[in-house]
Amino acid sequence: MKIFRYTIFSLFTILLIMSCSSDSDEEQNQVPEFDRSTILKNYAENIIIPRYDDFQSALANLKSSVDAYVSSPLVSTFDKMHDDWFTAYKKWQHIEMFNVGKAEEIMFFNTVNTYPIDELRIVENITSKKYDLSSSNDWSSQGLSGVDYMIHGIDDSKEKVIQKYIDDSKYGDYLINLLTIMSSNTDQIVQDWKTYKDSFIQSSGNSNSSSLNMITNDFVYYFEKGLRANKIGIPAGVYSGGNTLPDRVEAYYSSKNSFEDVSKDLAKEALLASENLFHGKSSTGASGASLKTYLDYIYNADVNKENLSPIISSNFQKAKDALESLDSNFINQINSDKVKMLNAFDKLQAIVVNMKTNMLSLLSIQVDYIDADGD
Amino acid sequence: MEIIRSYISKKQESTSLAFFRLSFGLLMTYSIIRFWLKGWIKEMYIDPSFHFTFYGFEWVKPLEEYTYLLFIICGLSAFFVAIGFKYYLSIITFFLSFTYIELMDKTTYLNHYYFVSILSFLLIFLPANSSYSVDSYLSKKSFSHTPKWCVDSIKLLLFIVYFYAGLAKINKDWLIEAQPLKIWLTTGSYDLPIIGSSLMQQEWFHYFMSWGGMFYDLLIPFILLYHRTRIFGFLLVIFFHIFTVILFPIGMFPYIMIISSLIFFTSKTHKKILEIVTKPFKKIIHNVREIDAINIKREKFAITIVIVFFIIQILFPFRYALYPGELFWNEQGYRFSWRVMLMEKRGYTTFKIVDKENETSFYVMNDEFLTEFQERQMSFQPDFILEYAHFLGDHYKEKGYNDIEVYAESYVALNGRLSKKFIDPTVDLLKEDRGFKNKSWIIPLNEKINKL
Repeated sequence: MKIFRYTIFSLFTILLIMSCSSDSDEEQNQVPEFDRSTILKNYAENIIIPRYDDFQSALANLKSSVDAYVSSPLVSTFDKMHDDWFTAYKKWQHIEMFNVGKAEEIMFFNTVNTYPIDELRIVENITSKKYDLSSSNDWSSQGLSGVDYMIHGIDDSKEKVIQKYIDDSKYGDYLINLLTIMSSNTDQIVQDWKTYKDSFIQSSGNSNSSSLNMITNDFVYYFEKGLRANKIGIPAGVYSGGNTLPDRVEAYYSSKNSFEDVSKDLAKEALLASENLFHGKSSTGASGASLKTYLDYIYNADVNKENLSPIISSNFQKAKDALESLDSNFINQINSDKVKMLNAFDKLQAIVVNMKTNMLSLLSIQVDYIDADGD
Repeated sequence: MEIIRSYISKKQESTSLAFFRLSFGLLMTYSIIRFWLKGWIKEMYIDPSFHFTFYGFEWVKPLEEYTYLLFIICGLSAFFVAIGFKYYLSIITFFLSFTYIELMDKTTYLNHYYFVSILSFLLIFLPANSSYSVDSYLSKKSFSHTPKWCVDSIKLLLFIVYFYAGLAKINKDWLIEAQPLKIWLTTGSYDLPIIGSSLMQQEWFHYFMSWGGMFYDLLIPFILLYHRTRIFGFLLVIFFHIFTVILFPIGMFPYIMIISSLIFFTSKTHKKILEIVTKPFKKIIHNVREIDAINIKREKFAITIVIVFFIIQILFPFRYALYPGELFWNEQGYRFSWRVMLMEKRGYTTFKIVDKENETSFYVMNDEFLTEFQERQMSFQPDFILEYAHFLGDHYKEKGYNDIEVYAESYVALNGRLSKKFIDPTVDLLKEDRGFKNKSWIIPLNEKINKL
């Protein structure tokens, strides 16, 4: 009995000692290493920063065309402004998900794209001229959604809107203020990324505050709330007992007052941005290290038996097809055939399920930030 | 019978119990303070509007602002246990307050909290204040010996914890697939300098740690029991638990196990440590009269309780065998059984409310009612899903919906398997009662993981 025990103990000890000392000669073979910071590098250098630069210049265009329009409210200056607004809104879809660093600190995405906007509050702000756009109480009275109301919603036709700007300078003042704060916030973030980039790339660990965990959590959160729920689910009545809420669509006033049907294009842009992030694809179309290549690595390293990345890729394709089949004006789509909207919702839901259960699990990323013990 | 009687009358130096009392009490005091300082009382018990309860203990709820008072009572009683002041009152208070805290919300369940609860229950029946305690100073009496069964019962409890944790590792995922360690070491340990991106990525290492972990849990009680291997065993305990501290966010558990394992050492060792710790108080305790052996009041009663306690402890983890289906998937009889770190399990669960009157339906946004932590736990555990479904039913009935049904759309991924549908989406969960009955509305995994 004694001898038996001793044998087991000594075997165990030898194994333990081996585990502590022999790693150096074993580590070169087998599985290729995966350097997580390559994902962060690709995301920062080829996606986040260029996409922010894009947005910054689109916003600068919008700002100058707003200035031109306010100083001379004409159909021509209005049309230019409208086009620049739509372009900036599309560029915005590529950065809304990056709620890290300075953007997180100043709650950037809340200030740019909270909808539905609060009409009463905007009207009150315009009249009283007493407001603080940096306060969270005013999230729903500013941003690109706020501009949508200011240029498509204060009256129901282009001529009437222009007339209001001609009649009273308070509209122009408010509109310019919305652009000023958005631009200065954007400039801050763009500036900050210049220094933040290095620490962002270096933080490749696995703690809750590491870059990969944060950016992945933001991405999944955005996809579930900002894209799936806000753009499709809520207006289609998914959460409201079958009562559709067409006034909850993104950029509602442009579509409602027949300026231009933009809701589908914005949603498509958002889905494309998400797909690109997953695949590590930059605006120039080049691909780099990404969540997808990490999942491929894990699969090739035999961590799991079925590769997740092609499944998610095909989920994205199905979701794109479903969005494509919708009316370019979501208000019309919801009112005529909401089932198609619900179908698009289901396709997006499939991606959420795969990301939240499988992807986060395989990447050991906790979905919540709570710092609780496990056992 | 004679053997039993002579065993019961065997004595051991009282220093072992005193040492255990002191270290356990201090560790618990620290745990409570740590929990408070981390802001978890507010985050886990005050802020959430809804709490998941244990079946049969629905009446145990957080006490709003008074929850802080509960923690003060718990921490203070832990400290009194440590110094052995009004020991019986203190340990009973600690057991009740700590257990109450653990029952307030199932979301926070951890095996080591359960361990603390039952260990403090056991301590109620052990005369751990016989020496090196304020009680013995105040009564001017100190007992040099206590019954041997008292220390042995603590050892037995530790034995069960380790051995059962080892038994639970004998399953297909752990041994054959090296899961979930394969996932956790590959992607979850990337932080570690040098070995994070090399050793931790090696498949042989995943298997080594899985098998090593199983053997460790199964054998460590024996290694600690046997005097010649005890020091080696204790070094193993330290090595193993420090390793887990580095890899996983497991809070106090490793420290509790390391400190508890010291009980396997001899009373002489314990005495040495106590002498050092109590040195500053030496002059004061000078006039305490030393009496040979303590006579526990109602010792028969205490022994009976302890025996019943251990019978339950030995049998309870096997209750899963009463349920059909895969334990890791259905989690019927999973908790309170020393199944530690066996699963990487994630779920995504949403609820559809069907309004029969108006023939409409809508989905629930979980974050309206649950914290992220609660939502995560709810999403893969059937009893959480059912309780939450009933809560939603009550909530919407209160809001004026008279005739509703609640359906869950749920997907769960387990140990590297891609997610599958978890709950039968055609079952109205409001018609399913909470309780210990088999949950037939779980869609089976159709795979056997737990072979034992």
